[in-house]
Amino acid sequence: MITTNPSATMKSSKLSRRYASIKRNASQLYPYREPLQFSNLDDSDNDDEKGNSNDPEQIFQNIQFQKDLMATIRCRPWPMKQKLKALRRAKEIVLKFEGRLTRTRGYQAAGVDLWRKFVRLAYNFVVIFIPWEMRIKKIESHFGSGVASYFIFLRWLFGINIVLTIMTGAFIVIPELIAGQPFGSTISKTIPKDQVASAQDLDTVWSLGGYLQYSVLFYGYYGKERKIGKAGYRLPLAYFLVGMAVFVYSFIILLKKMAKNSRMSLASASNENYTFCWRVFCAWDYLIGNPEAAESKAAAIVNSIREAILEEQEKKKSKNLAVTICLRIIANILVLLSLAGSIYLIYFVVDRSQKLERTKEELTLWEKNEVSVVVSLITMIAPSAFELVAALEMYHPRTTLRFQLARVLVLYLGNLYSLIIALLDKVNSMSIAETEAKNNASIWEYSPHFLPTRALSEEEKWSPTISGIQVKQNNTIQHYLIPITVTNKTTSYNYNVQNQQDQCWETYVGQEMLKLSIIDMIFTVASILLIDFFRGLFVRYLSDCWCWDLESKFPEYGEFKIAENVLHLVYNQGMIWMGAFFSPCLPAFNVLKLIGLMYLRSWAVLTCNVPHQQVFRASRSNNFYLAMLLFMLFLCMLPTIFAIARYKPSLNCGPFSGQEKIYDIVSETIKNDFPLWFNSVIGYVSSPVVILPALLLLFMLIYYLQSIARSLKFTNSQLRMQIQSDRSEDKKKVAQMIVARTQTQEGSKKSQENDFINQQASIHSMTPRKHGHVVNFDSPGSRIPTISQAIPQAKILRPVEITSSVTSISKARSEHHRYPYFTHDSDLSKTKSYTPVTFKKHLEDIHSDPLFHKGIPQENPDVLGAGAPGFLRGQIHVPRYYIVNERESRRKPRSISRSPRHFHRNNLADFGEMYSRNKRGYLLSKPHHAYPPHLSDEEEEEVRRNIFSRSFRPRSFSDLHQMPHFYIGEQTERQILAAEDLARMHYQSWNDGFEADHYRPVYLYKKPQSRNFDPEPRYPEHFMKPNNKQKMEPSFTESDSVSASSSDQQNSSTDQYIQIIHNKDKYLKSTGKLSRKKSKSRLEMSIVDPNELVCSNV
Amino acid sequence: MGNKQTIFTDEQLDNYQDCSFFNRNDILKLHARYYELAPNIVPMDYRKNPIVTVPMSVIIQMPEFKENPFKERIVASFSEDGEGNLTFNDFVDMFSVLCESAPRELKASYAFKIYDFNNDNFICKSDLELTLARLTKSELEEEEVVLVCDKVIEEADLDGDGKLSYADFEDMIAKSPDFLSSAYTMFPELLPLMESIRKDELLSGRGGASSGN
Repeated sequence: MITTNPSATMKSSKLSRRYASIKRNASQLYPYREPLQFSNLDDSDNDDEKGNSNDPEQIFQNIQFQKDLMATIRCRPWPMKQKLKALRRAKEIVLKFEGRLTRTRGYQAAGVDLWRKFVRLAYNFVVIFIPWEMRIKKIESHFGSGVASYFIFLRWLFGINIVLTIMTGAFIVIPELIAGQPFGSTISKTIPKDQVASAQDLDTVWSLGGYLQYSVLFYGYYGKERKIGKAGYRLPLAYFLVGMAVFVYSFIILLKKMAKNSRMSLASASNENYTFCWRVFCAWDYLIGNPEAAESKAAAIVNSIREAILEEQEKKKSKNLAVTICLRIIANILVLLSLAGSIYLIYFVVDRSQKLERTKEELTLWEKNEVSVVVSLITMIAPSAFELVAALEMYHPRTTLRFQLARVLVLYLGNLYSLIIALLDKVNSMSIAETEAKNNASIWEYSPHFLPTRALSEEEKWSPTISGIQVKQNNTIQHYLIPITVTNKTTSYNYNVQNQQDQCWETYVGQEMLKLSIIDMIFTVASILLIDFFRGLFVRYLSDCWCWDLESKFPEYGEFKIAENVLHLVYNQGMIWMGAFFSPCLPAFNVLKLIGLMYLRSWAVLTCNVPHQQVFRASRSNNFYLAMLLFMLFLCMLPTIFAIARYKPSLNCGPFSGQEKIYDIVSETIKNDFPLWFNSVIGYVSSPVVILPALLLLFMLIYYLQSIARSLKFTNSQLRMQIQSDRSEDKKKVAQMIVARTQTQEGSKKSQENDFINQQASIHSMTPRKHGHVVNFDSPGSRIPTISQAIPQAKILRPVEITSSVTSISKARSEHHRYPYFTHDSDLSKTKSYTPVTFKKHLEDIHSDPLFHKGIPQENPDVLGAGAPGFLRGQIHVPRYYIVNERESRRKPRSISRSPRHFHRNNLADFGEMYSRNKRGYLLSKPHHAYPPHLSDEEEEEVRRNIFSRSFRPRSFSDLHQMPHFYIGEQTERQILAAEDLARMHYQSWNDGFEADHYRPVYLYKKPQSRNFDPEPRYPEHFMKPNNKQKMEPSFTESDSVSASSSDQQNSSTDQYIQIIHNKDKYLKSTGKLSRKKSKSRLEMSIVDPNELVCSNV
Repeated sequence: MGNKQTIFTDEQLDNYQDCSFFNRNDILKLHARYYELAPNIVPMDYRKNPIVTVPMSVIIQMPEFKENPFKERIVASFSEDGEGNLTFNDFVDMFSVLCESAPRELKASYAFKIYDFNNDNFICKSDLELTLARLTKSELEEEEVVLVCDKVIEEADLDGDGKLSYADFEDMIAKSPDFLSSAYTMFPELLPLMESIRKDELLSGRGGASSGN
């Protein structure tokens, strides 16, 4: 079966992980059959039959199969021991047979092996370098995945910033440092004389003036030489290209991540069918390890379940809906009002402060800080207000979070854009001033009166700018910063003196951005310490001597607010993107900042935060965060691009000084340094003749893709509808078929019953002893009919199956046929442990049972772990089919009124079992099922199989014990030999059906399959052998000498048997082999009957 | 890679890596955790595959399980004897299935076992009631529980037999948006404990003894 699906199995572990869904088909199918594979292979180890086949193709396939197994073994639901064993065997086989292949294949295999080893080594090595993995997992284990998603997001941002840093560092900063002109060599790299004195003042450094301003940190420092160094590095060009590449890279990486995430969450299409199921089965966050978190999680689950119940109950009533809608509308109005109010307030305060600045000479402390205080208050209060409002809306916590995030984002954005507008305003005024300065250079000298006015007008324009910046700064965190005003003063004061150097607006923007980032960091630290740490300390240590309960009432412990924190990260990254062009070291700074933030936050979370009241699960890969980040990236890119495209670069500083526009550098380079033909090509490409069609093409492409997406969506929903309707139809059909089936069956069974009375009687006479033994329902009278009746049953069933959908039923049979080998022994052991009292009754069964099963512990040790998960067992009771069926029919006449329902239930249960297999089979062979009738076939099959299998009843153990009687009959009761033969025929038909029919459509798989199965008929033989040794002998004598061997003897033999099962771990190999040898010798001695059986089975 | 360890042979480590979703270090750490659970039972030398089991009562004290309402079920469904005694193999298996890189289907199959309290291969109403009781710490009212159970069965039971078979369960759980994210995912906090064990070894000299083996 494994070789049947080579495409689904992966060679490398990484791949195998990624394509888990594909593998699913394979791995789900394997458990049923693989154990047999192993037993086969085990056999081949012994008699070496398999290895002797010289067909290299076959060997190759075998090896391939083993390799696939090795690659996917970790995905199988077996216990580890079984996996290890299977793996070891697979490796052995590969090693053993690989040499027999051609040399090239051997080399290939060796190469692959080597590569695998290398990959594993590399993987083991790389894992060490995933930063903060343990830290994040620790947080995750305490606070659940919601909090952890913040840190994962942080780590991801950290990765992006590392790449950005490398880009800017390697292509801009380092070349400039190495090959650029040294500090002080040109005017743009020198500190003006009057500033040298104050260059090292704290104020200056704080406002990033002085030495910092004239360093690689900022745009202005970079030289305008076209080529620097001996190698002729084109720094200006690199500067421009890297500046653009930062955006391009960010976009690509973001979109890629988003696409990946959405692919991962594809399965979770909004399907509201399973509200309750999910709330029950998927509710628990297995990552929670903190008692408090567990407590609140349990409470949250109760809430969510109650919520669901309420929703369920109030689906029909709509009066509450109106209230909710009203509330939500009100809430949104409130939010909008507060947003508008905050923006108005900011502008009002800014305006007021400007007026004050102009009119007053000396400002009081309050007047200086007014703007920032107001703004910080707004930014502090508004999110909390939004939270209150959100409570009004009564959304699901996840939705609430999103609303909260969106609102805070809007708030931040409002502030951010006020900064941007102010900055651009400033830039605008600077460039105007520059041109004016150029034009009026002569006037300046001769009209001293002009200067103050100029300065004043400049001041006017500046003050909004700076207040804007203050707004921004305060925004980011909630406090105020003084030094800005200082900058304001210095710059405006020195305006005309250092006209030339101060005209570097790019440096100014970069400075502001870096400043902003620094302040943001400081206030993050401060707020963590204040709001989380000190509050935590306060609550913790003063709660004992306070008049109310500090821990549960007012201050409480700080909660980790995912929304705000994530938003803060997004916002922070936005600043970086905005400023990276003007301050190439900004990403590097951000890397440091993020590292610090990571440690600080994780420390704070673990020490002084409590889990959120409503712990809800946020996906580890949350696209919402990414969407916000993308939005931010776009918004931050806009002003930068605008500035680059719109404004003239400064005259006296930076790599682009002297150019009309910044991007001219590209066209200039192309013109000067590329061959002529390239130039002309570029000319054509950039002409409207090419660009317009290209644009058109793009639009067409977009439209086309969109329409495809739409149609796919449509098909998707159609398919879902179809599945749903199919399901309901299935249900109906199943019910109908069962009812019909039950009725016909009852009729036929009644007629059959008469036929067996004779046989029954004879059997009775043969086994008088048993008669005496058995007390309850398991009376021999009812048992023996079991045997005999089973056959007609088979007879009856067969024609039906043959006429209709032979394929699936025979498949089902063949599957059944195989299960018993590996699960019955576990059943058996159960018998032993569970029913010590009734043991005697079942002695015979058990003692003959091994006929069928005994072989397993020895022959097939892999399987012994019963790795097949519990649910497998249900599907395994097939041989019982006959017996149970009979009993059913026996009972039925007595309780006809009850039986249909009874039947119904059983059937459905069986159907459920079968369904999974059926489905899988379907999945597997899906590619080949292009023809439409298959689906209906499938349905029919389900129904039919369901009927076919309706008589399994895995519940009672008595069933289990009964089954073997069939086989007893086989060996001992000559009278029913004919019946036996029929049964064998039936058996045979399973095999036939399997090989012939099931695999026909899957022609591709047929070859390996048949190979795999061809040793299968040998099973009975193998099972026979040990059996003969321990069980058959007594039983044989018993039947021969009619008097039946003593139950003690049987008892001991059974005990022995069970013993072996128990000790299988230790003696597995040795006993298996030993007993096999012994049994071989015994086999010769033993009776003909088993041989007959073997023959007939083969 | 790394320092020489004497707990496993290289082959064993390789096999464990093939059979689980862990890398070499993880397996060593897992052994350390396992050892930590019962230092007097678990040997430091696993090269000869000693058969050692750690009882459930010890395992559910691990911080990963402590708060989990289904801890007994988890441990029991991974133990070979069904009663919660875990060998090291089972232990690795358990964390491998619970780790984040394990595929959905694997997790689903064990999740089904976890919820199947009476091991009858179906999730029936009694299983559901037990599940709910554990999940909600028995805070739901009687009729609420009944309603929820009915609803769950109604939603997921495709074949109408009044209980959930594995197929039903798998079908349902595979569609859950939360399933892969964090349900049934758990991380052994391996590192810190490993370090503490190393320290212990240094202090007591046990490390030298085991490496002498």
